[in-house]
Amino acid sequence: MSDFPETGPWHRRDTDVIPTQYRQVDPEPLDGDFVGDRGRVFELAVKTGILTVLTLGIYRFWMKTRLRRFYWSAVRFGGAPAEYLGDPLEKLLGFLFAVVILAFYIGVVNLVLMFLSYSFFQDNFVAYLLSFVGVVPLWFYARYRARRYVLARTRWRGIRFGLEPGAWGYAARAIGYWFVTIISAGLLWPLMTFRLEKYRTDRTWYGDCRLEQEGRWTMLYPAMRYVLLAALAGGVTLLAGLNGAPAFLIATAFCVPWFAYGIAYYRARSFEILTNTKRAGDVVFLSKPRPMRVFGIYLFGTMTSSLLSSLFLVPIGLALVAAVGALVGAEGAAGMSIDAVTSGTLTTIGILSYFVFFLAWAALTHTFITLPLWAHFTETLTVIDPGSLGTIRQRPRDEFEEAEGFAEALDVGAAI
Amino acid sequence: MSGIVPTVPREGLRGVYFDGQSAAAQEVRLVMDEGAGQLVLHGEVVDVAWRLEDVRLVPDQAGQGGLVLRSATDPAARLLTAHRELAESFPARHRRVAEIEAGRILRWALAAVASVALIVFVLVPTMANQLARFVPPEGEKALGDATLAQIRGALNENSEMGIRICVQPDGVLAFKSMADTLSASVDLPVPLTVTVLDHAMVNAFALPGGHIVFMRGLLDTAESAEEVAAVFAHEMGHVVSRDPTRHALRSAGSIGVLGLLFGDFAGGALVLFLTEQLIEAHYSQGAEAAADVFAYDVLAKAGIPPSALGAMFERFRAETGDAEGITAHFLSHPSLGTRIEAARAATPEGFEARPILSEADWVALKGICGKKP
Repeated sequence: MSDFPETGPWHRRDTDVIPTQYRQVDPEPLDGDFVGDRGRVFELAVKTGILTVLTLGIYRFWMKTRLRRFYWSAVRFGGAPAEYLGDPLEKLLGFLFAVVILAFYIGVVNLVLMFLSYSFFQDNFVAYLLSFVGVVPLWFYARYRARRYVLARTRWRGIRFGLEPGAWGYAARAIGYWFVTIISAGLLWPLMTFRLEKYRTDRTWYGDCRLEQEGRWTMLYPAMRYVLLAALAGGVTLLAGLNGAPAFLIATAFCVPWFAYGIAYYRARSFEILTNTKRAGDVVFLSKPRPMRVFGIYLFGTMTSSLLSSLFLVPIGLALVAAVGALVGAEGAAGMSIDAVTSGTLTTIGILSYFVFFLAWAALTHTFITLPLWAHFTETLTVIDPGSLGTIRQRPRDEFEEAEGFAEALDVGAAI
Repeated sequence: MSGIVPTVPREGLRGVYFDGQSAAAQEVRLVMDEGAGQLVLHGEVVDVAWRLEDVRLVPDQAGQGGLVLRSATDPAARLLTAHRELAESFPARHRRVAEIEAGRILRWALAAVASVALIVFVLVPTMANQLARFVPPEGEKALGDATLAQIRGALNENSEMGIRICVQPDGVLAFKSMADTLSASVDLPVPLTVTVLDHAMVNAFALPGGHIVFMRGLLDTAESAEEVAAVFAHEMGHVVSRDPTRHALRSAGSIGVLGLLFGDFAGGALVLFLTEQLIEAHYSQGAEAAADVFAYDVLAKAGIPPSALGAMFERFRAETGDAEGITAHFLSHPSLGTRIEAARAATPEGFEARPILSEADWVALKGICGKKP
């Protein structure tokens, strides 16, 4: 636990470890600023998205790199932008490496599972289940490896970040904490959030300075308040509503948006609590995100993105209606006789609007969800440097040639 | 915002330099030495000269209020300056700084393609062929039942039960009589289950566990019982060689591998589907030819000229046209023209044909869905 939780994190200063020439009377606050604008991220996402589709997915390594360069460079503390130095070719290489290993695993293991499942259980459910269970450790492993790669390619003020190896340890802990979270019906969620964050943070370095996560897992419970209250109120009113007092069901309906707000509140507050109890040597952090703003971004962003991108599904719908109409018409006549030309045109329209829909969705979520969230969390964060930042030295480059290949091959969802 | 990048240049060119060794920010003066072709940085403890042709803009920057510069020769040092007009002085400012060897990428790319090809085209099919023989009959039956239910559901999404199975008793008996005659000469690994689906598509197929499925459209199109029997014999060929079971096992292995390759980029699922079709077609063409040969033998033993299969293919061709070239490769069957000729060639001179069904049974069979033909 931090020594001065009441008086704010910047009061914690151990001046003895700061060389004399860097000692300052007052700590210097480095305010966060986010300089990226929506128009440019939309343009970048559309442009790189089109190239990705045209190259059958190969360009996605360049797309990811370019978007990350943009986001990273938009984040500034004390005016100095962060920089992303990942190389697209390096990502391609790591991906190919992961494919060589995973193709064998997935091809052979799935086939054998399907065989065993039908031989012993007369059903394919067991195969799907086992296949899924087998990939779970790999999934967490890949996430940690991807984080290691991204941190190793992130710099601020010319200094590299880094994450120590420890992916299997992370996978084991993640599975364990997910398990207790699920059997406790979500009540132990803060335990999982805190312990996994601590595992990652305590292995994170900025130059030669190690980060530390302080505090206890129970400090996250206040952040859970609306999730718990909404779930409780929703449950009670639902029971009352089903047992003869239907008026209570109206209250249940109100608990649904309340619960959604609770999730955004947890996201914002847990970030705030965890960030304010992190340290990098003497450097501490002050985060003040506003839960209502986070909720607003999710709500408005999801609505806008789905509304606008679904416009591109209209042609698919029309093509489907036309195709069904043609089929029904053919039923009456002898056999099927859709005009080959018409069906070709319909297929082309369908495929085109299918791709455009996905492109639009990706670009719009960048514009209306990812970017505003990054902006909000950055602008409400201050790095408080008591004068020791200048003493931090560079760390050696982590070659890490596998890059985030496993995460890419397994589609492990990352923010961007 | 408390910027360390000075935004108002008053006298001379200023910037902030990070040497890539420490996180300390160094205030520097910028001197453009056009004569020596150098950008010189002077600070309290900084004295650095970058050749103008080595200076690069760090790409894809969100900030439009200044420049982030690096030298191609120094991977870590960075210079931030508010003087955007300086960019014009660096001739190679947009050139990429190569950090990875192309040869290595190429070697890994080849290794990846070779190993995926080996797995998808050799390892998975070989294992599927071997394992298909060991799936117990109950397992195969379950697999077939599940697939049939999926197909019925997919063809009619409006009804919970999927499309109707045709069960007019006379038609069912006629089909049974046809099945008995044809299978008399064959040692089947599993008992046959014949199903007719009430759908206009002109098609028939075999599923694991001895399922043979006809679509009503095929019965409507056929002009004699012998043509239906020919298709029946062909599908029996698939049942005997356990093609459907292999197919199911093989897709279980190869779909996952292809999913890896194409991942999650916009609409990747569609490309995945097309590729899967291509690979399946590659295998089934061999299986189809083998099932044709099997059918010639069964038909001949039942007293039906193998050319009946050819006659049925003629009708397919009349209905849907034949696919040639690239399109043919995406379809699971060899070109119909080839198969029609093969079927004709398999009929010996002076073949003595016996009818497979009586006229009454043929009418009953066509009316199995309870509609007048």
